[in-house]
Amino acid sequence: MTTQNIIEISGVEKRFGTFTAVRDLNLTLKEGEFFSLLGPSGCGKTTALRMIAGFQDHDAGTIRIGGQDMEHIPANKRPTNMVFQSYAIFPHLNVGDNVAFGLRKLKLGKAETEERVAEALEMVELGGLQSRKATELSGGQRQRVALARALVMRPKVLLLDEPLSALDKNLREAMQFEMRRLQQKLGITFVMVTHDQYEAMTMSDRIGVMFKGQLKQVDKPEVLYARPCSQEVAAFIGGMNFLDAAVTGEMNGKLHADVRGFGPLSIDVNPNVARRGPQLLAGIRPEQLEISAQKPDGYDGYLQGTVTNAAFYGENVHYHVTADGLPQPIAVSVPNYFHTVDHKQGDPVWLGVQNASVIDLGAREA
Amino acid sequence: MAGFLRTEAGKGLALSAPASLYVGLLVAAPLGILVAYSFWTQTYVEIDKTLTWANYLEAATDPLVRHLMLRSILIAGAVTAATVALAYPIAYFIAFRTHKKTLWLLLITIPFWSSYLLRVFSWKLILGFNGVMNSALISMGLITEPLTFLLYNEFAVVLTLAHAWAPFAILPIYVSLQKIDRSLLEAATDLGLTKLERFIRVTLPLTVPGIIAASLIIFIPTVGDYVTPSLVGGSQGKMVANLIQVQFGPANNWPLGATLSLVAMASVGFVAILFVVLATALGRRIR
Repeated sequence: MTTQNIIEISGVEKRFGTFTAVRDLNLTLKEGEFFSLLGPSGCGKTTALRMIAGFQDHDAGTIRIGGQDMEHIPANKRPTNMVFQSYAIFPHLNVGDNVAFGLRKLKLGKAETEERVAEALEMVELGGLQSRKATELSGGQRQRVALARALVMRPKVLLLDEPLSALDKNLREAMQFEMRRLQQKLGITFVMVTHDQYEAMTMSDRIGVMFKGQLKQVDKPEVLYARPCSQEVAAFIGGMNFLDAAVTGEMNGKLHADVRGFGPLSIDVNPNVARRGPQLLAGIRPEQLEISAQKPDGYDGYLQGTVTNAAFYGENVHYHVTADGLPQPIAVSVPNYFHTVDHKQGDPVWLGVQNASVIDLGAREA
Repeated sequence: MAGFLRTEAGKGLALSAPASLYVGLLVAAPLGILVAYSFWTQTYVEIDKTLTWANYLEAATDPLVRHLMLRSILIAGAVTAATVALAYPIAYFIAFRTHKKTLWLLLITIPFWSSYLLRVFSWKLILGFNGVMNSALISMGLITEPLTFLLYNEFAVVLTLAHAWAPFAILPIYVSLQKIDRSLLEAATDLGLTKLERFIRVTLPLTVPGIIAASLIIFIPTVGDYVTPSLVGGSQGKMVANLIQVQFGPANNWPLGATLSLVAMASVGFVAILFVVLATALGRRIR
């Protein structure tokens, strides 16, 4: 089975006055893909989504959906539907009429409209709530109505603008799985905008990370986590210890480098790295470090330091460890096996790291 | 006493006392007097205080009363319709099409900076036989004789009041438009609607409360207005309030005047409630 490209964006730019909200955006999405645009607020991700939806014109480049150029196609004629951040549930209509809103325009006839509304509500587990008033819905229900109202139109692409940000934590996690299940069942391309890295990682096939109007890296969640292209991407996704390193040699795809604090290590060359410089920046994820009172066996690099902070997070324990010559304490995260915090503030500890756990991040950013 | 004032009930009564006193003295008491008068009879200079339905019978049977009442309601209805229809686009413009909202709202209130009477007189100057309108049309060669249908009729009353009431219609409609979440409009577009369809199916039903508020604010006082009809209405523009004024003035029949006031009040109330019910039901039908 060959999957078609559903969205092709090339060279798209959007300016508001002198401010460039999105610059040189290039992105190709496959049919049936769950794609997330991830970035801090103001990075241009929502503008990008609104350009796909047609709520905003683009100043340069082309946007094609299903092979068709969207240049002169207004939002109401595009094969996309959107779930708004505020959900935008029509307050003067009940649930059934909200979901039927777009269908009424298609003049399908009463029976088919009702059938499709019932089916859509069933899909989001709100079956039978057609006559419920919009104002009587909980946050989670509003989100489901918004989803049903968009999906009932059978769009080629469903656009989601921070769809879960208004929900509380438990509901948000439940909805993440449910939306993923729905997307896989329907096979519709979902494009979601979010600033929540965990949301993006748990739901998406691929994630595009945006900073200051530019798409920095597009990859599968696990690749993004293991091989981020730069310091800012690495810092935005998960925790990361940044350590300066001096490269001493390169051989067979490995960089030999003297990593500050840990000594000489052999680091896999990261093919995603965007920018190289004379100095190397090495990254180590907090959960990839071993922490122990005695020197642990079998590691490639060691660091001797003192615990400055120990915090119990429930599923894991976080430590901060300082050592001479380190500008910042090193963060370590240990799974919580025995409900104990093994190292106290002021304790001397050893940290151990494997070569494979050290990430090549290219040049340090100013 | 001091103890009672500290209880919940005491505090409530104390806090509502000024308002109750005000409403009691200035609304309930005069209304009570009006009701009492309506059951009495005028006998030349004396008031016969025997209770009787005679005034109501007269109000119900006199064709002049019925005619004026009906005309008042029709004129008020026309004024309301014209004002709301003209105010809606202005309110829409301020709410959606301009960033200088405060400036526009200020400009709209400017007519209020001059006296109401002056504004009515200005219309006389504009619409009169030798008025601005006629002179302009004649000098442009569009007409040779001055138009006489401009002033001293229902049209003049409707025009004058529609202008005078405009801000009262613009403001509530503006508020209801301003309250509409812009993402609702985007959602409607996203679901395939054109701008016109979106207006009919989203904007209009959501502004029904504003339209109702504007309509009531204009309709109720217009039915009872007597300044405008007496100044620009001529003989065919007379309304029920002019008749009531006559009863309390030249005719010196206060009991009949009181009865007519109450009948007018009841008619206005009835029509207003009917309108609210109908408008709300119509708004709900749009899906």
